[in-house]
Amino acid sequence: MNTNLKISNVTKIYPGCVANDDVSLEFNSGKIYALLGENGAGKSTLVKILSGVVIPDEGKIYLNKNILKLNSPSDAKKNDIGMVFQHFNLFETLSVFENLIIDSDEQRENLKEKIDTIMKKYNFSVDLDVPVLNLSAGQKQKVEIIRCLIRSPKVLIMDEPTSVLTEQETSELFLSLKKFSEEGILIIYITHKLKEVMQLCDEVAVMRRGKLVSVSQINNENIESLANKMVGQDLKTIKKKKENTSSEQLIKITNLNFTSEDPFETNLVDINFSLNRGECLGIAGISGNGQSELFQVLSGEIISNKNSIEFNKNFIGDLNPQERREYLMAFSPEDRLEQAAIPQMAIFENVALNNFKSSNFFNNGLINESKIKEHSKKIISEFNVNTENIDLKSQFLSGGNLQKLIIGRELITSPDLLICFNPTWGLDVGAINYIHETLIKINEQNKSIILISTDTDELLKLSDKISVIHRGKLSKIMNAEDVTSEKLGVLMGGGN
Amino acid sequence: MIVDINFVGLIIASIMASAVPLILASCGELITERSGVLNLGVEGMMIIGAISGFALMTVTGSLIIAIFGAMLAGVLISTIFAFLTQTLITNHVATGLALTIFGIGISAMIGKNFVGIPGKEFPVLFEGLKDTIPLLGPILFGHSIVFYFAFALPFITSYFLKKTKIGLIVRAVGDSPESASNQGINVRLVRYACILYGGAMSGLAGAYLSMIYTPQWIENMTGGRGWIALALVVFSTWNPIKILIGAMIFGGLTIIQFHMQAIGVRIPVQFLTALPYIVTIIVLVVISRDSRKIRLSTPSSLGKSFHKDN
Repeated sequence: MNTNLKISNVTKIYPGCVANDDVSLEFNSGKIYALLGENGAGKSTLVKILSGVVIPDEGKIYLNKNILKLNSPSDAKKNDIGMVFQHFNLFETLSVFENLIIDSDEQRENLKEKIDTIMKKYNFSVDLDVPVLNLSAGQKQKVEIIRCLIRSPKVLIMDEPTSVLTEQETSELFLSLKKFSEEGILIIYITHKLKEVMQLCDEVAVMRRGKLVSVSQINNENIESLANKMVGQDLKTIKKKKENTSSEQLIKITNLNFTSEDPFETNLVDINFSLNRGECLGIAGISGNGQSELFQVLSGEIISNKNSIEFNKNFIGDLNPQERREYLMAFSPEDRLEQAAIPQMAIFENVALNNFKSSNFFNNGLINESKIKEHSKKIISEFNVNTENIDLKSQFLSGGNLQKLIIGRELITSPDLLICFNPTWGLDVGAINYIHETLIKINEQNKSIILISTDTDELLKLSDKISVIHRGKLSKIMNAEDVTSEKLGVLMGGGN
Repeated sequence: MIVDINFVGLIIASIMASAVPLILASCGELITERSGVLNLGVEGMMIIGAISGFALMTVTGSLIIAIFGAMLAGVLISTIFAFLTQTLITNHVATGLALTIFGIGISAMIGKNFVGIPGKEFPVLFEGLKDTIPLLGPILFGHSIVFYFAFALPFITSYFLKKTKIGLIVRAVGDSPESASNQGINVRLVRYACILYGGAMSGLAGAYLSMIYTPQWIENMTGGRGWIALALVVFSTWNPIKILIGAMIFGGLTIIQFHMQAIGVRIPVQFLTALPYIVTIIVLVVISRDSRKIRLSTPSSLGKSFHKDN
């Protein structure tokens, strides 16, 4: 049976922002639709309306010409609309099976059979008895998808599903989605990643600042045309100028090891590398291969042998992050809201957290607020953070603005080395471009970068040297010109 | 020295009796906490239950009205807590502390007229079987219905949480109210129900104290048992069976240290009085050391207010 879903003149206004401004769209089963837009464009609000989480101020939704009343998530479920959220809606301490059956009224045995059939049909393998917190992000997503499939949905909405997946998991997901679509499930795919739209979808709707900008067939589009529609202006392509970098060594890592007591962490084995001034070392790898541990060891969150890290001719392996900052190192961790900033604190307070003896943020134990605020304003204007209000809690900044603030906070002290971990994770094209430009600029100022990233394109674009981390071991360091993404892919999988 | 085996049985029975209010209140609070709500008002709800039970018994003369009335009183006072924390989104900790202070105060006020009035005898079950089996007879038989209910409760609670649909929903709400709400579960309703249930169990625990354990009204007669019940929930890592173990150790040491004081053992009284608290906590910490299990049974959203916004 064909499914037709129609959104008609939907408007949703939040205090201070129009999330959806008179949006009308129509979808038919058998196709995969992309809903494309930058962060904050209103995609998520629109799909939350479709799934009953948010109630629109105006407008109607029709399913097969019948008007839908979506006042709660259970209304959406009753009407066969399934949704996989960007932030998983799972219960971490409950088992996979318990997570799957919680919203169903059927008998446990029937459900067990149904789940087994679904897993076999789509070749999913997830252990039903383990608690969800033991699963990888890809497996968690499969649990969410199975939970939708149990109800044999007519519509399946995926909200930014690949932001937490590895490339392997992403291609598995795409195969499944294509299969669902062939079976007649209407698929709406929300993303800001242009490559995925081109790879997967048949039609694309672009949103910008709450408004629908265009609806078109994928065949009539290409990455550049979509990017321009999404951002609303022509993006310049950035390229790194290859110059002769200096040969002065800045950091040298010798026989660095880390053995963890936590079975869910990766041990680091014999890490050796060195980096010159003005260079960028990219470290590629599938997530969970020791990147987070390597970042922590390099930043001093995990302390190691004094002699294993030589920075600017000092041995600093046993120093904590604060002390390493005094030697002009700077850090941008992966998790912006958990590690890099404190969500409930204001922007200027977060800036003050990165304080130095020389920064004079504190006088005799008292906070020098005017000094900190002045400093914060400088960061905001120099690094293009899109807000005037430094009293704003950092949790209300968009991902892009928060990352700019964090990078700005680190760079304004002009460090010799910036270590960053997935700096553009989950950001939209405009913000990614800005961060990339900034990173290239600091290389040009003869400062160095260690870039740990799971985004291969980003690494190839920014790095001078590249290495791959696999199960806690680093591959040999290669010159970026000699590396292709295929070669990286092989190394990331553990090949030679 | 020949120890009368039935005397040992009686001591064990008295230990079990002293554990009853702790088990009742802890199992109630456990359900409340498993839904993500931290209610520090157990002591207050317990003492309200104690005075309500005793007063209703004296006034109406009916034990059944008194027992259920005490549970209802626990429900009513916990409704105040539920309304404040779930509808008005106040802070759990502050509201719970206020509830305890309120409970102690109001119970003393109502209780003024009931001081010195003797209680009624509460009927016991299987009295005749007491002497049929040595040692086990006095342990198993001749107790009140509340006693038997209390010792069944940890197992019922465990079954409820693990095996029933509603138990699963309670755990889910405690794990992540946001996800539960997005799944169409009415988080506020579940939490209200769990708070009210906790109130009923605390009320029953209080009634047991004033009607069965020491049948009389004494001001502040719960004497911190509500706080012990709260501690048991946390140190048992939200496991009802471990609550049973903890309550028995605590009850046992309380009884034994009384006897030791009576015999005149040359250990400072202060140390003996502190002993039950120290040993119970040490034992529960030791048997609950598995950090993975702690992570799995701790309600992740405990004490955090949930506010659904559209």
